[in-house]
Amino acid sequence: MDHASRLERILRGIAIAAMVLFFMFPIFWILLMSFQTNETILRNPPSMAFAPTLSNYAALLTGRLDTAAGTLDIDFMQNLKNSVILSVFSVAVALLLGVPAAYAFARHKFRGSEDIAFTLLSFRFAPPLLVVLPLALYFQDIGLADTYIGLIWVYQLICLPLILWIVRGYFEDISPDVEYAYRIAGHSWFATFRRIALPLAGPGIAAAGLLAFIFAWNNFVFALVLGSADKQPVTVGALAFVTASGIQYGQIAAAVVLSIAPTLALAIYAQRYLVEGLSLGAVKG
Amino acid sequence: MAVTADIDGAARRRFRIGTRALPYLLSLPALLVCIGILIPFFTAVYYSLQRYRLSQPWAREMNWGETYWQLLTDPSFWNTLQVSLAYTFFAVGLQLVLGLGIALLLQERTRLNNVVSIMLLLPLMTAPALAALMWKLMTNPNFGILSYFVTLLGVEDFRWASSPETALMTVVLVDVWVYTPFIMILLLAGLRSLPRQPFEAAALDGVPRSFVFLRITLPMLMPYILTAVLFRLLEAIQQFDIIYAMTQGGPGNTLMVFQVEAYLNFFQSTNVARSAALLLILWAITFAISNVFIKNWLRLRERARGEI
Amino acid sequence: MFEKEKDLVDAFVRGQVSRRGLLRGLAALGVTAATADLLINRATTQALAQDFDWQRHSGTGVKLLLNKHPYTDAMIANLETFTSLTGMEVAYDVFPEDVYFDKVTAALASRSSEYDAFMTGAYMTWTYGPAGWCNDLAEWIGDPEKTAPGYAWEDMLPGLRASTAWSGRPGDPLGGEGAKQWCIPWGFELNNLSYNRVMFDQAGVTPPQNMGELVEAAAKLNRDVEGAYGIGVRGSRSWATIHPGFLSAYANFGQKDLSVSEDGKLSAAMNTPESKDFHAQWVKMIQDSGPTNWSTYTWYQVGTDLGAGASAMIYDADILGFFMNGGDNAQAGNLGYAPFAANPAADAPTPNVWVWSLAMSAFSRNPDAAWYFLQWASGVEHALFGAREQDFVNPVRQSVWSDEAFRARMDKSYPGYVQQYEASAPGAQIYFTPQPLFFDLTTEWAATLQEMVADQVSVDEGLDRLAESVDGQLADAGLG
Repeated sequence: MDHASRLERILRGIAIAAMVLFFMFPIFWILLMSFQTNETILRNPPSMAFAPTLSNYAALLTGRLDTAAGTLDIDFMQNLKNSVILSVFSVAVALLLGVPAAYAFARHKFRGSEDIAFTLLSFRFAPPLLVVLPLALYFQDIGLADTYIGLIWVYQLICLPLILWIVRGYFEDISPDVEYAYRIAGHSWFATFRRIALPLAGPGIAAAGLLAFIFAWNNFVFALVLGSADKQPVTVGALAFVTASGIQYGQIAAAVVLSIAPTLALAIYAQRYLVEGLSLGAVKG
Repeated sequence: MAVTADIDGAARRRFRIGTRALPYLLSLPALLVCIGILIPFFTAVYYSLQRYRLSQPWAREMNWGETYWQLLTDPSFWNTLQVSLAYTFFAVGLQLVLGLGIALLLQERTRLNNVVSIMLLLPLMTAPALAALMWKLMTNPNFGILSYFVTLLGVEDFRWASSPETALMTVVLVDVWVYTPFIMILLLAGLRSLPRQPFEAAALDGVPRSFVFLRITLPMLMPYILTAVLFRLLEAIQQFDIIYAMTQGGPGNTLMVFQVEAYLNFFQSTNVARSAALLLILWAITFAISNVFIKNWLRLRERARGEI
Repeated sequence: MFEKEKDLVDAFVRGQVSRRGLLRGLAALGVTAATADLLINRATTQALAQDFDWQRHSGTGVKLLLNKHPYTDAMIANLETFTSLTGMEVAYDVFPEDVYFDKVTAALASRSSEYDAFMTGAYMTWTYGPAGWCNDLAEWIGDPEKTAPGYAWEDMLPGLRASTAWSGRPGDPLGGEGAKQWCIPWGFELNNLSYNRVMFDQAGVTPPQNMGELVEAAAKLNRDVEGAYGIGVRGSRSWATIHPGFLSAYANFGQKDLSVSEDGKLSAAMNTPESKDFHAQWVKMIQDSGPTNWSTYTWYQVGTDLGAGASAMIYDADILGFFMNGGDNAQAGNLGYAPFAANPAADAPTPNVWVWSLAMSAFSRNPDAAWYFLQWASGVEHALFGAREQDFVNPVRQSVWSDEAFRARMDKSYPGYVQQYEASAPGAQIYFTPQPLFFDLTTEWAATLQEMVADQVSVDEGLDRLAESVDGQLADAGLG
């Protein structure tokens, strides 16, 4: 591609610029909006010139929303906390259960292993509502209604198959010889797993964990159907900013920014693992 | 290794006994957790075979598939199927074209390309429900920046998601915004892992680039393309977050897809049976697609192994 | 509380000092009106406690499921009064309206005992009641052991008491024979015009008197007022699009959603020639002068636009116009209110009402304690406090409407509001036929309206198709 003509280089540049614009602009615009009051947002035509205000963020952080109907307590910080709890624990549980299982599928070809592995993966493809709506009817009976445990369990539907699949692929890529030699040297199975297999598969596990975290964070429907107000994550919480005395657009924007900031930050910070996880999870095995 | 033969033998024996039960023990907890979630699935099957509305508890009775029959003879069901398929087709089609194009543009490992590909990853990290909210704000007729741009182009009264002509386009646009990066990143990984020799040979022979693309790049990339597309197909046909947050299936029934209709049937009409039946039909469709996917995936893996 | 203030307030409670005298006295002591009312509310509520054992459930607690709403805000602002009166703790979950009713359905359908009481509308109890999810409150209201003598159930507006009671037999009239009190009216709204007086003056328009004038006025405003459209009405694909202005005007032409035969069978009634004429006018009005993205409009957008000056008038809940006339809304102070009878031949408006009500969960572990909360929250004292100091309007009690302080507040800041209310109150009731398929029917109705406005289907064809579909569903459910 050394002989790419000048024209071609220019066209490429324009295409790349257009893409970046299309994919980045919405995020940029919401960010701008989050620093404006309703008054400047509602100006027509829209204008870039405004005095930035932090009042929207202040309202979210302190949980006090000033509206015509008085001050309204809005617990967005609780939503954020719920998102963190649900995502972190779901991923932790999924890693705890998924990594050993992935190791078993990768290292031991046992009877029915492909079937079990396929069954587990197929959960990823079941319509979520198919599972969640009946659960809504009897979560109460099994005592899991409105508990983090109940929600974290349901979150396994998203996290577990993902981790299982990606980590299995990673284990399969690592030659078993080292582990075998270590076993021969008289070390227990568990020591081999912990000292040899896990560290070698570290990057794959990191990638899978990151992806699972992002999917869990972005989930909308599980908590919407199964959780009470104090268990809702940010994805549902951000919809809560319409009040009877008018819609506070600036606060909606600030809530969106706060809600997507953790996953965006994670994506930028750990992009290498993420890209690896994405391509591995879908393509390899 | 200073290990005597007997100890070695004993270890091997233990190792073997261990291996027989071990994989089951290791995979059992994961399986149990998922099986637990399977129970609601069977509950849904049971509900779908009943006449079951929460608002008429006295009329609840088994009706053995009558709900399915009513669905199949109801034009609104066929509308739902059609909308779901149209949504899936347009969303995934556009994403593939765009994703492939972008992957080709960013193929070379330059610093700029790497930075751009990370930037393009960000929409994928945005929750679809929140992405829908962002686009809803951007298309607001009073202050939405996109509505403003459209008026600058001389189009008055462009109604985005609130007009049946443009509603599908609008939600597909949001889907494209969120998920194109997914396809892009898979294909980029694929492109960068292709062997170099065929391309170098073609360059030496002066083969035209369009020929190289159609006859070398595309076939070699095909396994990646298929996988990415099938992944997206399964998710797109189950779309809920974006459509629910933007229009709840309206205007009219323009955007009434499976999961949105099932949700409304359950919560608004409290018609549990119909909701369950709709979801089971959707499940059957996705099960069929995912079977194709798994078979394809296993074949790909075998071939990859064979080549190495 | 300081001694002087306390003496003064107690004197008022004993009836020795008039309200005005009291407020003057308190003002002289440097107490603001808002604080004064809170003090009075505490004191009068304490006075209540003397002839009834409010402390019976002291030490217990109730948990509420609430919608994000000014009524909720007003209740929470006064919650300490309840706590000090009864010694009960109150916990609550507040959800935004977008997901509120789904949460109620989910909680009740799973027979959750978490919530003792919840906010609801009358329509919802047509599902909850027959499903066995909420209690018939007549049992508690009629029991002097459990209900304070000062509760004054008869003081609730009779139309609202009837609207929240139903026998559970599809098609039976609300409040008719064998009706069970599924919920208690709390605050309500009726549907009339709220308009921007400045824009009306600017375009030389006066409040329209019938449907034809409404369509014309909206079109004129749409043309003549820069930056605003003519009329705001709801349009989202939901039952909520049907029940406000739309059904009020529809009912004014004597039209019904369903007809009930002698033997109690239901059938669709929305494809009559009169109904088709009305639909055609309504659809034209939205096409010509409605909001651009009407089909996504819920009451939040309808209200926000009026408050921001993006629309010249709305045909929606009167309280929406009320809320928009205050706070930091751009048009606060510019709004006026007018009763509206769509049918030129009608004597008076027939607004369909929405009654925010309180219901008791059938799964509550301590229904008697829950009732203590319900009777306080729907009692005279809290109603007065909410109406005078907070946005707890429209009040459901006659005594509040007669309250001097409330009327003075309304006349001062909301000109024409009380007149609008009084002109339409006699005709205000629920105009839907109670039956369990209410949400199926109204959602499909809204979807059909959306198709008509988008010119996907003609009015005649759309209504015939809707009627056919509704009849089919009624037959399936064993109601038709």
